[in-house]
Amino acid sequence: MLAQPDIAALLITLKLAATTTLILLLLGTPLAWWLATTRSRVRSAIEAVIALPLVLPPTVLGFYLLLAFSPDGPIGATTAALGLPSMAFSFWGLVLGSAIYSLPFVVQPLQNSFAGLGRVPLEVAATLGARPLDRFISVVLPLSKMGYLTAAVLGFAHTLGEFGVVLMIGGNIPGETQVLSIAIYDHVEALEYSQAHWLAAGLLLSSFLVLLMIYSANRRFHLMKTA
Amino acid sequence: MIEAALQLNKPDFKLEVNFSVPGRGVTAVFGPSGCGKTTLLRAMAGLEPDTTGSLSVNAEQWLGANGSKAVEERRVGVVFQNPSLFPHLTVQENLLYGRKRLRKITEPIDLKELISSLGIQELLLRYPEGLSGGEKQRVALGRALLADPRLLLMDEPLSALDQSSREKLLLLLEKFLQDIDIPVFYVTHSSEEVARLADNLVLLANGVVSDHGAIQQVLGAVDGELSRSDTAFSMIEGQIATTQLPGLICVDCGAGIVLQLPDSTSMSGFRYQPGSAARLRIRARDVSLCLEAPQRSSILNILPAVIAELAAKPHNGSRIVKLDIAGKQLLSKISEYSVRQLELRAGQPVFAQIKSAALI
Repeated sequence: MLAQPDIAALLITLKLAATTTLILLLLGTPLAWWLATTRSRVRSAIEAVIALPLVLPPTVLGFYLLLAFSPDGPIGATTAALGLPSMAFSFWGLVLGSAIYSLPFVVQPLQNSFAGLGRVPLEVAATLGARPLDRFISVVLPLSKMGYLTAAVLGFAHTLGEFGVVLMIGGNIPGETQVLSIAIYDHVEALEYSQAHWLAAGLLLSSFLVLLMIYSANRRFHLMKTA
Repeated sequence: MIEAALQLNKPDFKLEVNFSVPGRGVTAVFGPSGCGKTTLLRAMAGLEPDTTGSLSVNAEQWLGANGSKAVEERRVGVVFQNPSLFPHLTVQENLLYGRKRLRKITEPIDLKELISSLGIQELLLRYPEGLSGGEKQRVALGRALLADPRLLLMDEPLSALDQSSREKLLLLLEKFLQDIDIPVFYVTHSSEEVARLADNLVLLANGVVSDHGAIQQVLGAVDGELSRSDTAFSMIEGQIATTQLPGLICVDCGAGIVLQLPDSTSMSGFRYQPGSAARLRIRARDVSLCLEAPQRSSILNILPAVIAELAAKPHNGSRIVKLDIAGKQLLSKISEYSVRQLELRAGQPVFAQIKSAALI
């Protein structure tokens, strides 16, 4: 079964994924809303930047983050000036890296969901006296439930599975920055195949269950809509 | 008064309108599709942010030198062409969405009475997805009215409905829109809806108002845009006569004019009560002129008339002639050839043959 370090890695992974997902939902909402509604010309550029983690090797992102975290880098210099500990090889460094790495998985479903609403429900709400924030809370949020579910699940699952960024900026410190994917790698390196199996099969199964949940919820939602 | 001078430039369309109509009653915005009716309505609602000019509704400035009032500040009720209820709210929650957001309720509306006059009391706890198109539009109308609007805008509310629900909702609107004390702008391309609902008319063509005013005045303008179109028609009001002939419905229009229509009661299943008010819509192309009273004609309605006015110019080979029949106006569209042949001129007595009239 799972040994103590593996349980620690599991807990850190869950904490990291949950924190990252929460932050991304909060920051991703205004960003996705802006992307879905703006007529600005810089939109395409922003969309391309957000989609970069989809195509870049994670090590590229990790490499640049590591440079930024160094005492001479912009983030390292800022944390040092504020008297904060360095982000490199720390949990919050991992959160930042994961947030950037999983950003498209949260922003894109939200953006699609917002764009799919069309302008009519918002216009109706406006004519009925609802102000912008009120319109967002009373109309957009409830009608975007599926988008939020998809965004949350994809963001969470994608963070669970990340490897390259964590390896570059996390430093694989057991109990602090060692996450599941890296623990598996360590076990394989050490030829501890049975421990690796426990973790790998667990990740495989839980990822499958999570995706099954989204797809069946999506199906129910569509059936409900067309009923 | 509702006074508008609005300009809006869109990539493929330009709206430039100027009109003023009374601040009560139903104003129909009428014109062919693509003439900018919906854009005008959206501009009035404040849903087209690039609109410039001025708009005031019963002395309240919505757009002008002091800028544009936000949509949510205008207190404008809108019933869109496609029913647009919030799918995540029940009918009751939809109805109350705007009302809950009123800062103070100035117009106490009897909720129960409104709900029952719209015939939606059975639907309150249901979600919109299971409702028919007609039901959705009635809920949308109730929702707009409950928000206590200063102006109600309706954008072809019947066009997404099938024939029978359209007829049902039209019957309801006829009574309902006359009873409420809120000015209504009603966009349509159906002359029947205009004749049945409107007190005032704004005619729109290519983004410009070609004529506006009280309905009889606009309908009777022989050189107006409407008269030149195929849809030119007159509207005569009267009441169902108390004495009826077999197979006919007689409508007493006053001053001794009685118009007779084939009784289609068996077809429509709707029985006209003697004495009840009736409006007749008579297309200009269904009215022909004779200099002498025709004998033994199959045409039921042949009335002595006087030519009040001829259109200044023929249009597509025909000319509109306005007739005066004991003080009622009636348009006739005849060929320019006949105008010359019969040497028609204003003041001349003629006989009008009305080929068909629709009781609406």
